[in-house]
Amino acid sequence: MTPLLDVRDLTVRYPGRNRRSAPVRAVDGVSFEVSAGETLALVGASGSGKSSTAAAVLLLRRPDGGEVWFDGRELTALDEAALRAVRPAVQPVFQDPYGSLSPRLRIRDALAEPLRVQKRWDPVAGPARVAELLDTVGLDQRLADRRPHELSGGQCQRVGIARALASEPRLLVLDEPVSALDPSVRAGVLNLLVGLQERLGLAYLFICHDMAVVRHFAHRVAVLSSGRIARTTTARALYPTGTARPKTAVDTRKAAAT
Amino acid sequence: MSITTATARAAAVLTVVAAIGLLPWLSGRDAALSVLRARSAEQEPTEEALAAIREDLGLGAGPLSLLARWAGGLLRGDLGHSWVSGAEVLPSVLAGLGVSLGLMAASLVVALLVAVALCVPTVLRGVRGVHGGSRRRGSRGGTREGGGAVAGMLASVPEFLLATLLLVVLGVWAGLLPTSGWQGPSSVVLPALAMGVPAGGLLGRLVADALPAVFAERWVGLWRASGVSAPRVAGAALRRSLPALLPQFGLVAVAVTGGAVAVETVFAVPGIGRTALGAAKAQDLPLLQGAVLALLLVGLTAGALAHLARLRLLGPGLRDAALALPAPPRAPAGGARWLLPAALGTVLLVVVGWGLTRDPLTVDVATRLAAPSWAHPLGTDALGRDVLARLGHGAAATVGIALAVCLFSYLFALVIGFLPEVSAGVADVANALPPVIVGVLVAAALGPGAAGASVAVALVSWPPLAAHAAALVQETRAAGFLTAQKAIGSTRRWVLTRHVLPSVAGPVARHAVLRLPGVALALASLGFLGLGAQPPAPEWGLLLDESRAYVERAPWAALAPAAALALLAGFAVSLSTLTPGAGRARTGVGA
Repeated sequence: MTPLLDVRDLTVRYPGRNRRSAPVRAVDGVSFEVSAGETLALVGASGSGKSSTAAAVLLLRRPDGGEVWFDGRELTALDEAALRAVRPAVQPVFQDPYGSLSPRLRIRDALAEPLRVQKRWDPVAGPARVAELLDTVGLDQRLADRRPHELSGGQCQRVGIARALASEPRLLVLDEPVSALDPSVRAGVLNLLVGLQERLGLAYLFICHDMAVVRHFAHRVAVLSSGRIARTTTARALYPTGTARPKTAVDTRKAAAT
Repeated sequence: MSITTATARAAAVLTVVAAIGLLPWLSGRDAALSVLRARSAEQEPTEEALAAIREDLGLGAGPLSLLARWAGGLLRGDLGHSWVSGAEVLPSVLAGLGVSLGLMAASLVVALLVAVALCVPTVLRGVRGVHGGSRRRGSRGGTREGGGAVAGMLASVPEFLLATLLLVVLGVWAGLLPTSGWQGPSSVVLPALAMGVPAGGLLGRLVADALPAVFAERWVGLWRASGVSAPRVAGAALRRSLPALLPQFGLVAVAVTGGAVAVETVFAVPGIGRTALGAAKAQDLPLLQGAVLALLLVGLTAGALAHLARLRLLGPGLRDAALALPAPPRAPAGGARWLLPAALGTVLLVVVGWGLTRDPLTVDVATRLAAPSWAHPLGTDALGRDVLARLGHGAAATVGIALAVCLFSYLFALVIGFLPEVSAGVADVANALPPVIVGVLVAAALGPGAAGASVAVALVSWPPLAAHAAALVQETRAAGFLTAQKAIGSTRRWVLTRHVLPSVAGPVARHAVLRLPGVALALASLGFLGLGAQPPAPEWGLLLDESRAYVERAPWAALAPAAALALLAGFAVSLSTLTPGAGRARTGVGA
């Protein structure tokens, strides 16, 4: 079976501090695959290239080298217009729940926007779809008339997930989706994501630095270190029962080095 | 500074210089007739005589050859000959420049004294550690400094108004100092005060606004705790605040060159500003070209000196861009800050509303220069017209024009705000041109009138709005939710019209409305110089100018428009403190 997402030899460079110094390789030849219904966690210390990888997979920033294949098509070979047609199938959920929604738009309009942009809006079916999305992520319909700043962080992140679902995606790129949330709210959002995956068969590329969450949530784990994949393994194999569970970024790096 | 900005700046300077060179062609009117009248009153304006003059002035040539000839002469140091007197332009420009530079130096001294006086309270509080303390308590660290508020008031008084008041009070009533001419040190005092006090207010305001944030920095507490003396702490704090402010000092120099036109006219000082104004009114374009070029050069040189001083102070630290000043503390939120502008606005509205019910144009020579009475609450002017009525009707016309100017600036700022680098470069040059000088140029091209004045003010009133718009565009474009836009497949057009434009349009519109009184003041200053609305229109600046001649017999006729303008200035500055960013008056993005 061909994987849904196939990333081959991905490279992302940032220009150096000035013209003379060499560019910084944030991502240096990274390859991985994600199948439908599967969660691959990308873990690593801060600065190891996790978020650069996510941005390149979403093609928010064109990679400087390598290929991104999605569902048998090479996304990196498409031009912007052709890419626009494929983009809805790969949706992001960002770390900052407030920053990823326009402060001016009501929740109702934020959820309707993908439908309007993708020319799928219909005066009858549209509002019904918005209501259904709120339902799917477990939010009260009365929140539809609020603006982001009137919601809690957890509610906002659920809106962010609902907005991603509005595009009918097959892969979600979750960039630290629960790092900014209170521990008490985290479990609810993670359970929602697990339920959505089972129901809709979504694939997740899950970027995280909290190993406790990764172990609970991911099927496979790829450990990034200095822009390269140090090892790929199943979540269970990474921490056999009985060993201490690394939690901090430093511990993660040690784990990656061994 | 990027290459685009530098290119845009160079292009803008060249455009202004080219516009000056093309003035004879731009004006489009037949200058031959006025030149003929000026040269000899007897000669008949026959076709042959006019053609001879056109030939003599080279008016028949096309714009490009005209420009080439002018630029060629400029490079050889030849500014041509006056159309009116036939004398060489360069010597009269140099003579005027000498006088003006002397006056500017004197007003610089006044400005520095005023600025120092305004900053003393802030510095004293700073070295006693008041600022750091209030921040630690986390309470109202951001109350506006008293010195800053007074400075703001002083900075907003237009030079022509201050000059008139000084002339009336110190010169005419008290008879202390000579009111006109340029003989001896005593004649320098009043013009220097009129030019120096607003400039000092602006300088003092900039420093007094920046100092509290500097004194709140940690190193101040550390130095004080280690026993560094108060003067050394104060000196270090001033040095710390200067680099960020030096670019603004260039703006002060520009304001002084603009003020020179009004002040030299009021006090009949034979300087370069008065030369420029006289040449514009007499259609003596070669002389005007020379004088405006000299004023522009003074402004640009001052700006360049400020820039060099900044480079010296910062040294290599500039490259890392890590030396920005902390943001000045915000004015306290709440209803109290609306009190002053609301009160001033109400007084203005009442006066204007009352005046609108009366007739501004009826001439009644029997009651000319009458004192205030029930029939004429503010007295009458030299033709027996009701002063209150003229104030009211003048305001209505001025507000209409100011609204149109603000609308234009707003739309232009929105467009150019999307090209931040271009807008920074062009805004720099527009900032280097005071409205009065643009007014002189436009009046020379279009002829004096309300239309020309509004064009002139519109040309220079957009940069602060464009800077605000550019900052908002950059901020919005960097926002996280726009990254997500690309992922749902939005086109650039969708992002622009549904997200970026709506976030920018509202705040910039509020800013534009708040600048309305300032625009009205600029229009009034052009009216005062005879470059704006023409008699018998009841324009405020024009009212002040007309009543100046009768100030000894009918002081109320002069003081009423002066008071109204002062109210307007107070209204403008109290409004400007309400928006962050709007308070720093004419500031470019690149600053």
